[in-house]
Amino acid sequence: MSSVDPRLLEILVCPLTKGPLRYDPERQELVSEKAGLAYPIRDGIPIMLVDEARRLDGASAAPAAPAPPSAPPPATGQA
Amino acid sequence: MRAMSDGPYAPAGPARPAPSRALGRAPSHAGAAPADPARVFDRALHRTRRDRAAARLAADPKAETLLAAAAERLLDRLDDVTRRFTAALDLGARHGLVAAALRARGIASVVAAELSPRLARMAAGRGVPALAADEEALPFAAGSFDLILSNLSLHWVNDLPGALLQLRHALRPDGLFVATLWGLGTLAELRGALLEAESEATGGAAPRVSPFPDLRDAAGLLQRAGFALPVADAETLSVLYPDVFALFADIRAMGETNAVAERSRRPLPRGVLMDAVRRYAARHATAEGRIPATFRLITLTGWAPHESQQRPLRPGSAAARLADALGTEERSAGEKAGR
Repeated sequence: MSSVDPRLLEILVCPLTKGPLRYDPERQELVSEKAGLAYPIRDGIPIMLVDEARRLDGASAAPAAPAPPSAPPPATGQA
Repeated sequence: MRAMSDGPYAPAGPARPAPSRALGRAPSHAGAAPADPARVFDRALHRTRRDRAAARLAADPKAETLLAAAAERLLDRLDDVTRRFTAALDLGARHGLVAAALRARGIASVVAAELSPRLARMAAGRGVPALAADEEALPFAAGSFDLILSNLSLHWVNDLPGALLQLRHALRPDGLFVATLWGLGTLAELRGALLEAESEATGGAAPRVSPFPDLRDAAGLLQRAGFALPVADAETLSVLYPDVFALFADIRAMGETNAVAERSRRPLPRGVLMDAVRRYAARHATAEGRIPATFRLITLTGWAPHESQQRPLRPGSAAARLADALGTEERSAGEKAGR
């Protein structure tokens, strides 16, 4: 039950850039090259949340999102 | 720290249109610096609340009573439509209640999108392809669906105009969008009791109940997002609970606990809470001692524009005279009748 539904692969885009995603079956990730993020697929469920994505530039697992071109800056300063 | 609410970030005069947020102007006890004034809700906290709701929904079938009542009204709208749908999205699906119902109605492709990965997993357990997604940043290609339904989730979105715009793009031309959300007036009794109790005890009150959009806001937003034939209507549901704590349990089970970004970080002192509970019961309890709670259910309907849809003609394009149709004589606006 851990394989992702093919219908989902057809319709999903990167939530930040709305650009295409590359499916990496080895790592079970959907990769957005433009955003530099890899969204995990857990038990067949794509987790299309920016703060759960892995950053491709190898930075530590800080959940901060890179500034998207059109979206408002992510909220900061929450203690 | 009370003075912080007087800073330049005071939530008055939002730059972007947003749901009514009268309570957001109440003096804030929040110790942390408030962020963007347009950011009413703490989405990360709301996600945690929904994650926790998963366990309650799994454990207690009664916990979904209100969700199911709203879902039924949502699905009823489809009966008014002769169109057949083939690709549907249940947005803010929680454990897949609406998605499963759409499947049962014979729609070939149904997808469940839910902010909480834990709830998304429950939806997937019903055999519906599911994903975790945030309504504020949708991950769908343009024209992915011909039907999008959303049951009781969109009142948690900070940027509702932006979310509606993204939803319209995800629809094919002539695709249908129907959503239920809680509107202004929801939990009015609780809001009143908490405000009274807290302001009497502390001289100020923090927003303990989320702000809700009102009907007129909602209809205008649909139109501004470019939906054709937009309709917003509202219905008031009154639910009786054995006591106020049963109401609290119900709110938690829906993942609907207050997640206002400027909510007080201090939990409500127990004495104040008990005072609010007493006030609530004293003012509203029925003769049998039960506690009524008001829920104002807004239903939004809109279509992705398409040539086939009815629309007003351009002014001056009429091919027949109104006077002929009425069998009367046409007078210019300057003439008075009867002369």
